[in-house]
Amino acid sequence: MRPAIFGRHLAASLVMLLVVTVVLGFGYPLVVTGLSQLFFRQQANGSLVYRDGKLAGSALLGQEFTDSKGNPLPQYFQPRPSAAGAGYDGSSSGATNLGPTNPLLIGFVAGVNTVGLNGLPSATNPFATTADPACVPTDPKGNPVTSPAPGQRYAKAGDGGYVCDPNTIPERAIAYRAFNGLAANASVPADAVTASGPGLDPDISVQNALDQAPRVARARHLPVQQVIALVHRDTQGREWGFLSEPTVNVLEINLALDGLT
Amino acid sequence: MSVSGWEQLLFIVAVTAVGAPLLGRYLAAVFRDGSVSGHSDVPGYSAPGDRVFLPVERLVYRTLGVDPEKSWTWRAYALAVLTFGLVSTLLLYVILRLQGVLPGNPTHAPGMPPLLSFNTAISFITGTNWQAYEGETQASYLADTAGLVVAQFTAAGVGLAVALAVVRGIAGKARTVGNFWRDLTRSLVRVFVPLSIIGALVMVSQGAVQNLSGFRTATTLAGGTQKIPGGLVASMEAIKLLGTNGGSYYGAGGAHPFENPTGFTNMFDLLFVIVLPVAIIFMFGRLIGRPRQAYAIIAVMAIIFLGHTVVSMQAELHGNHLLSASVSQAASNVNPGGNMEGKETRFGPESSALMTVGTMGTTAGATDSALDSYTPVGGTGSFVGILLGEVSPGGDGGGLYSILVLALLAVFVAGLMVGRTPEFLGKKIRATQMKLVLAYVLAIPVTVLILGSISLVIPAGTRSILNPGLHGLTEVTYAFASVANNNGSAFAGLAANTPWYDTTLGLTMLIGRFAPIVLGLAIAGSLAGARVHARTRATLDTAGPTFVAFLLGVIVIVGGLIYFPMLILGPIGERIIG
Repeated sequence: MRPAIFGRHLAASLVMLLVVTVVLGFGYPLVVTGLSQLFFRQQANGSLVYRDGKLAGSALLGQEFTDSKGNPLPQYFQPRPSAAGAGYDGSSSGATNLGPTNPLLIGFVAGVNTVGLNGLPSATNPFATTADPACVPTDPKGNPVTSPAPGQRYAKAGDGGYVCDPNTIPERAIAYRAFNGLAANASVPADAVTASGPGLDPDISVQNALDQAPRVARARHLPVQQVIALVHRDTQGREWGFLSEPTVNVLEINLALDGLT
Repeated sequence: MSVSGWEQLLFIVAVTAVGAPLLGRYLAAVFRDGSVSGHSDVPGYSAPGDRVFLPVERLVYRTLGVDPEKSWTWRAYALAVLTFGLVSTLLLYVILRLQGVLPGNPTHAPGMPPLLSFNTAISFITGTNWQAYEGETQASYLADTAGLVVAQFTAAGVGLAVALAVVRGIAGKARTVGNFWRDLTRSLVRVFVPLSIIGALVMVSQGAVQNLSGFRTATTLAGGTQKIPGGLVASMEAIKLLGTNGGSYYGAGGAHPFENPTGFTNMFDLLFVIVLPVAIIFMFGRLIGRPRQAYAIIAVMAIIFLGHTVVSMQAELHGNHLLSASVSQAASNVNPGGNMEGKETRFGPESSALMTVGTMGTTAGATDSALDSYTPVGGTGSFVGILLGEVSPGGDGGGLYSILVLALLAVFVAGLMVGRTPEFLGKKIRATQMKLVLAYVLAIPVTVLILGSISLVIPAGTRSILNPGLHGLTEVTYAFASVANNNGSAFAGLAANTPWYDTTLGLTMLIGRFAPIVLGLAIAGSLAGARVHARTRATLDTAGPTFVAFLLGVIVIVGGLIYFPMLILGPIGERIIG
């Protein structure tokens, strides 16, 4: 009796799979696509943004504002750091996935994850520089060294100090202050020095935008007040008053800036 | 937590409290069945929507050549589930292998290699949706829709069907547990398909994409180029969430702005995951005619849900204490603050943790942020949802049969304490049932701990670890716990597409899905047709606050005793050392 029952289940399974593959695999997505294209065409196609008739990006995806060498352009608001491919790569979304104690993320924090030149745990960071006590050194090729060992060779700066891995949060904070002309002890908003989940975050925090505004104004020869007013105009508040964080969309505010000058 | 954090949590609780009973009422009307409640749907019994749905269902039954009114033994039911699972896995495997030469591939994804196809096929058939492949480049549009999305529908339908069979066995008067083809068909036609279409359209209206255009190339403002992906995203997103599956179109999952564009969709997505499993519990209460029993179970679920979610939201808002004070993690109206690594600005730390950790008590494991970068305490919140067996509120159907088995364990322990033969819903629980319950409770932890431990000592296992130290241990153990419970979320630093992990995680998913299904059906079968005893003053009340507390204790002690050493070595140790 068992083989007969199994045979019947097998036949029914095969037919059921055929039915669901046709109905759910093709019918369902096509019905949703048809209705979406009919009623929500702009959203369904990716909230695309055009400039002078040419596709300039998507309002929902961040993009890079760098020159051909990869340096940030001061006349544009800068997005958050990105781990998607080489940066804001729409075909390769992804996070850093660095854990909260990983030196590649937080640097060498004294007494927590610090390692001596001999490779043994150490109470202090032997690689600390004047600018960055949490410095993670790099080898001569520029790769960060998180497991120092005797005989390891390190890159050195002109003043004899170590060259630090530029992608740790402390190093990003230092670079952010320098780029925006902020004081050496100025507080940096968390979103400005961390990468988002897909590496495609279209937004920055309002604080981040306000910190960048004077630099953008200088680069564009605009009054600071005008750029700050633009930030406030482009601030998207919390949905329904509580469902999200207030944000500034980087592509939209940069488009508006290009429209001004 | 901040004011808007509490408001969002309250919003989720309030919408669930209103929506789930209504949906549960509808489900009970759809799945009312002679063997449980004494009603019969033939002839003369009608359910809402019969005019639309019944002709469709009859057409399916005719095509399948099955008699929908014939009720089966638990063995026949389990055999049908296993056969359907086997055939579905094989077909999905073939589609993934051949996607490179099949049509519907505008992004030119090559065929998946054998072990990755094996892992991915099992992953979606079991509703785990562990994704060792890269969504944008390694799956074609055809494989996504005709393969993975179909599996997401059937996995959800099978879960609900099995739950119905278990309820009939545990609470019903008949010796049979129902008809698998009928349960599966009705689940899909009356629940999953209509709700998915509505959900997908809501998501598209907010900015989720739904098109067939492949990559478009944009010229950025700075003069560079950017590839803008397309795809049938919203239709997959809807059943991914509604079916507590969790598998996303893109690599970054629910954090991708094209899947989860706004703060509203973030909360909508969470509701789309948890309302149906809760509604299924309300349905259970109605089907057995004891609504109080459902309230008691939901109370247990809600306490666990709020526990792991609130702790995690608070930890993520507080941020990473190892960052120097010059990084501003204090939340304000102009700065979301908190631990922002791997999180979206529009969600901020609290909404991210609410959505990500909130789905960890279901088998969805849908995330809107990178779990690997959570603080140790925040990450533990999501770990706890998984380790307690996914009962807060659990997967579609899976949550119900899991917590029913735990309830049997609880009445047994309580019975031992007071020296009476334990009873649940009027049926006596004896050695036969308890042996099966123990096998059910132990199957998953044994698999997780053995395979996880091996992975920590052999090079094939340790090579894949991204983060050093205790965090790396968490990455490995989390992977096994996640897939064994068919959750599928990841501490994504683990490079999981290797022969060792593709194979072992694939096998773990199979055990984690089908051992509970077969054992659950066996328990139901052993109780099917058992005498229902009248309630007396000496009967343990399984719907009161005492039982709620007792069941909570059993869940926490069972999960805690089994996994506590692992948590000490992993996230707790990381927090203490840091």
